[in-house]
Amino acid sequence: MSELAIRRGAAPALAVAGLSYSYPHATAPALADVSLEVAPGEFVLLAGRSASGKSTLLKAACGLVPHFHGGEIEGEIRVADLDAIAAGPGELAAAVGYLAQDPETQVVSTTVAAEIELPLEMRGDEPADRARAVEEVALALAIPHLLDRTVDTLSGGELQRVALAAALVTRPRLILLDEPTSQLDPVAGDELIWLLRRLNEEWGVAVLLAEHRLERCLAAADRVVAMEGGRISFDGSPSAFLTWARDSDPALETPAARLFSLAGIDPLPTGVREARQTLRGMGITHPPNRASRRVSDPHPSDPAPESVLSAKNLWVELDRGEDLRDVLKGIDLTIRRGERVALMGRNGAGKSTLLRTAAGMHEPVVGKVDVDSIALLTQNPGDYLVRERVGDELPGEEGAAALRVVGLEGKVDADPRDLSGGERQRLALAIALAGQMEGELLPGVVALDEPTRGMDHARKDELVALIARLAGDVDFVADGSTKSTRTAAVVVATHDVEFASRFAERVVLLGDGVVIADGPSAEILSGGWYFATEVARVLDLPGVVTPEQGAAALAGEQP
Amino acid sequence: MKSPFAYQPRPLPLQLASPTAAVAYLGAIVAVAFLYSNPLVLLAAGAAAVTAGLLAGARRAVRVALKMGAALALLIVVVNALVVSRGETVLARLGDWPLLGKVDVTLEAIVAGASGGLRAAVAMIAAAVYSACVDPDRVLRVLRPLAGRSALTATLVSRLVPVTAADAGRLRDAARLRGPGAAAVGKAPLARRLLAGSLDRAVDVAATLELRGYSLEAPRARNRRSRSRYDRRFYAAAAVVLAAAIAGKAVGADDFQTYPSVGIGLGPETLAVAVVVALSGFAPLRGRVSSLSPIRRQTRHAEVARV
Repeated sequence: MSELAIRRGAAPALAVAGLSYSYPHATAPALADVSLEVAPGEFVLLAGRSASGKSTLLKAACGLVPHFHGGEIEGEIRVADLDAIAAGPGELAAAVGYLAQDPETQVVSTTVAAEIELPLEMRGDEPADRARAVEEVALALAIPHLLDRTVDTLSGGELQRVALAAALVTRPRLILLDEPTSQLDPVAGDELIWLLRRLNEEWGVAVLLAEHRLERCLAAADRVVAMEGGRISFDGSPSAFLTWARDSDPALETPAARLFSLAGIDPLPTGVREARQTLRGMGITHPPNRASRRVSDPHPSDPAPESVLSAKNLWVELDRGEDLRDVLKGIDLTIRRGERVALMGRNGAGKSTLLRTAAGMHEPVVGKVDVDSIALLTQNPGDYLVRERVGDELPGEEGAAALRVVGLEGKVDADPRDLSGGERQRLALAIALAGQMEGELLPGVVALDEPTRGMDHARKDELVALIARLAGDVDFVADGSTKSTRTAAVVVATHDVEFASRFAERVVLLGDGVVIADGPSAEILSGGWYFATEVARVLDLPGVVTPEQGAAALAGEQP
Repeated sequence: MKSPFAYQPRPLPLQLASPTAAVAYLGAIVAVAFLYSNPLVLLAAGAAAVTAGLLAGARRAVRVALKMGAALALLIVVVNALVVSRGETVLARLGDWPLLGKVDVTLEAIVAGASGGLRAAVAMIAAAVYSACVDPDRVLRVLRPLAGRSALTATLVSRLVPVTAADAGRLRDAARLRGPGAAAVGKAPLARRLLAGSLDRAVDVAATLELRGYSLEAPRARNRRSRSRYDRRFYAAAAVVLAAAIAGKAVGADDFQTYPSVGIGLGPETLAVAVVVALSGFAPLRGRVSSLSPIRRQTRHAEVARV
């Protein structure tokens, strides 16, 4: 087939037939008899739980599997009419771009301009062509102002855009994205998805996007492919997918679809706009009423529990290399025992710095923070695991008590590397807790920094249950008997609005180092646009943030 | 926190110059340091490197390199003074030491050590200025057609260094955040963990290089003309410095002896070489900035007057 014919889209962007693949030394195949075709200019969303085969399929489509990872492969996979099994990732690079979860390891140059230009240089393009391509892709992704910057000065969102620019600069026919929004705040995440949609429409690039937060991108997709155990379990339109998810795998339902399911409304909506249209068609309208956003205190008569974290006029200055910057600017905040608090805000708003200052890792330049005692789990739980046996990480009675709190008392002899992702996270938390408890009594504050990155719905459910247990909502049971336990305040820095609505009773919203909103989660998460749940955006009712609350409101009950 | 030696793009002559011009210029200063032992010329080379770094905006890199260079020079002086007992001027007799034997500290050994230390410090400052002011991507681009595998290795390493440094920082933080009841983490387990993590990181970076087409045997493109209007100035400075150094060496400008007694030549030829070398430090001085032409300026004045 001629180059022109391929450019014009005569061949599918991706054609997979009977593809099976096993990683080296794996006991089960990662992909089993997968067949799939992506048409030129199509936007396909790849859904599924963790370890369902999404990432492996993307790696096979760009040639990393099997060329880079080895293993056994059967079947056929063609990208823009190139045989991906015969060709290597380098040869495929002209036809396919790939963007993985962690942008830090996806840049290989010092400056942004050099990073974007590199694939063209490797392909042998002339200098004039390279200069024009770099300029155009930078304009398309709104990053011309970054071209002269070094990559180590970029934020996560900027770095992700630069990696995307490097993947797009060769004008590939297909772009593969593996959870590109997992490290981005809601604003940057939404911007990236709509940027992809625009490139898809204007450049005709086919998109294959793997994501866990389906509510963020379902409305942008033409088609959804769901995977389970390395096989394709669904392939169809977004609205058909929602019906299938409701009947077959409710963990993949979006909040708006769940709202409609609970309220008995059909068809299920793929996004906020469609949901509002359906409700309007049914005569249900809720004009915004900003004056009535206040949500009453859920426990008005309860005496206030003791304060476990108190920040007064807290200023923290950090050295970012070339410049000193005030990251926290006069924070006043009190958190009480037993509270479940979501700390939210854009990337760089100061969430992590606040938690690290509370844990004594930064010294305030002005003001102070008083903490009863704190166990902080940072963004990468793997950083806490340095030994090859759980019991060696947590020796003695104090270690055993910490393992009981997180429900891992039966895993003392296991190798941390053999634990599931959720178990590793709980083990890391136990390491942070060990010795900070008096018997079974928890420290004043348990803080988690971005704990849901790359997590599927089921793992988030486990985490919500653990948080509820730490904050004392559920009786703590060990050795078959209920123990009396002192509860902790649980503070979670997160970008995940839906997750926050499920675990938090209070949301503190930070903006550029200051507290810009602080109140009950139902009030804060229903009072904005970016930091609001999908249900809140659909219904626009004060205090209504979860599908269950929304269904009750639609049924005429008070939330 | 960003390393003081990390490259920082700035719109200044040394950063804007092509990598070959910048390397030629800084290399000439280092060459002088290795050609000469005369402390005056070495001091002039050091002054040139410091001035070049300051004019190129690499204040932090120069400051840190000066501290490190001074520490290294001091170490060389001390070691030389203890190990070498030659020289007529004995300042202290320290008796018999294990391994070293009889130790006499002489003025000549100290001066010889200072000369060597100064040479190392000059090289260190020039290397710091190079690291902070010369774009490694452009250097690799020049290197790639000449030595593809070396360029690939250099690219992998240059990316892995900051990534591994960030990983090490995170691991240290996690070790500090371990509860007092968890097993303490010594340096060895942390280093093992960092090494294991670095291997994973290296695989990820190598995968990205694959995807960018590094393994392609495609014909290499011509490099974009990377000359700048400052190139000629840096090549000229390098040529003048090297020519003066070689000519000076030929006419005895490097007149310096340490044993059996110290003798430092400060003749006109030495002074001339030192002045030329020291003045070369001003090569990165920013040149004339474009301004409005007289006619355009008059028009603009008229516009302002109308307003």
